[in-house]
Amino acid sequence: MTRLSLSALLALAALGGSTSAMAHGMFCQCQGLADGQVRCHGGLSDGTALPGATLDVIGYDEKIHIAGKLGADSSFTFAKPDGEFYVLLEMGPGHTVEVDHKDIAKP
Amino acid sequence: MSKAIAAPPSTAQRLWHKWRFHLNIALVLIPLGFMPAYFERAAMFRGTLGLGEREVGEFAVGPWTARIAEWHVGEPDFEGQAGYAKEFAVALCQTCLPQVKAAYLRMGQPRSLRTAGALLSGSPYRQIAEVPVPKGANADSGLWLTVEGWDGAVHQTEIPLASASPSLITWLERQPGARP
Repeated sequence: MTRLSLSALLALAALGGSTSAMAHGMFCQCQGLADGQVRCHGGLSDGTALPGATLDVIGYDEKIHIAGKLGADSSFTFAKPDGEFYVLLEMGPGHTVEVDHKDIAKP
Repeated sequence: MSKAIAAPPSTAQRLWHKWRFHLNIALVLIPLGFMPAYFERAAMFRGTLGLGEREVGEFAVGPWTARIAEWHVGEPDFEGQAGYAKEFAVALCQTCLPQVKAAYLRMGQPRSLRTAGALLSGSPYRQIAEVPVPKGANADSGLWLTVEGWDGAVHQTEIPLASASPSLITWLERQPGARP
């Protein structure tokens, strides 16, 4: 391999190795299941899974119906409560994402 | 006596020997073209150009006041599955600093302190948050600043999104399904 092609390879590797400065926001997507359950999947937009992150199902009256945590597959399945509610995925104060029950995709 | 015959140079070698001086000059000149943008960005981060690209104003929030600025004027940033987000900068009043525990920004009225939105972080003199743009956001939406004191008091104020970021409203109106 000539010195020239080695330099070109190194330059390409340096360019390819540089990552973009895109921030990674949190997301939570919920899908209604046929058996009256809801499955929510959360994570960061860069593909990072969030196993262990708090996921609470909260009524519009701010009463917590279900206090859960994302499992190893970064998802949590729960029985859909009656009435109006929202799902709150929380990594810590100020790092949250909400899904309203109206935005949960029907099975 | 034997004579060693040198192999003819390859095309790549010939090109390299012909253009290497010019290539090195280009490597010096190309970064110079980016210098004005670099210095402007550096000035933005240093704060000499103001709190952000566009200052929104000073707002009362409970006993405190806060200056708010749009960090960049223009379209929100796309963050993949997390949707779109817009950055805002906030400077709390000097006297507030020791009294304030945390401040949050959110588009749309928060349901509770837990859902107060994006936590502002950075130097106390200029904190920045990436505020997610909710699906239903429009010109009637508000940017809500929630400030939590060390004494447990929570104060909120709403800034119309149309004044907080006219460029975001322009972008929202261009989105498919936007309200006419």
